[in-house]
Amino acid sequence: MSEEPTLFPVNLVWAGGKNGEVSIKGDIKIRTGPSTSSENEPSVHSPEELFVASAAVCYMNGFVNFSERMHIEFHSFNCDAVGILEKVGRSYEITKIEMNARVEIISEDIRDRISRALELAAKYCFVGNSMKCPIEHKTEIIVI
Amino acid sequence: MSEESHEYFVKIDWTHDRVGDLTIEGKPKVQIATPPEFEGPEGIISPEDLFVAAATSCFMTTFITFTKKMRFEFKAFSCEGQGMLARVEKGFEFTKLILRSKVAVDSEELVSKAERALELAEKYCLVSNSMKCQIEHENEVTVE
Repeated sequence: MSEEPTLFPVNLVWAGGKNGEVSIKGDIKIRTGPSTSSENEPSVHSPEELFVASAAVCYMNGFVNFSERMHIEFHSFNCDAVGILEKVGRSYEITKIEMNARVEIISEDIRDRISRALELAAKYCFVGNSMKCPIEHKTEIIVI
Repeated sequence: MSEESHEYFVKIDWTHDRVGDLTIEGKPKVQIATPPEFEGPEGIISPEDLFVAAATSCFMTTFITFTKKMRFEFKAFSCEGQGMLARVEKGFEFTKLILRSKVAVDSEELVSKAERALELAEKYCLVSNSMKCQIEHENEVTVE
């Protein structure tokens, strides 16, 4: 890829009430709304969740990328992430994200390399590095 | 947890290649992947898209909150968000987001109110405030 910045355009249109509809590359849509429970429809994603999700998905993509480069295979990967929103001065900010990643492998031999791929994914997570808050990574590697 | 603090939980499960599922309890599952620029497939939402969508949708939700506080109604809202990912010292980072918002109101008297609500949304958007990158706003309010 070139050194020119890569652009990520999204389009958001208000859909009534406090809800919106996000389209990305024309046709994919995510319905959004506020996270406050009283007015929230249960089926829409809040901006706060999209923010936390963007970091968690980027972490997975980084892990997949590094494991490919290191020629190691894993059986499964999943990650639970939680973002903490707190009052900072007069406004709110996400002050911390905690990732709990779990990787299943079929042989003990590659444990160290999987661990290294997870470390590199955390270090080079584009989205995580674009956020102000610290991101904590807890990892678990299981041989099945 | 106090009222000044909230938590947001997301779950990521790798499915195959550079693709996985994003699950947030009670909400539609979203398929996610590495973007095509980084060897991912076409047409699937990437973490980079989610990052830009988080800022865009938070801006809209914050705008709506201020319109309610200021007790006025608008007819339409849309926002084109554009994120720029560029190489920095440690890999890639979002260096800039541009949010181009259009609001329609039905009378001339509401134009300045809508502009004020947009300004306040810029200042209090908690997702933008949680990002490191510079965020530019281009707002347009029209009477329809």
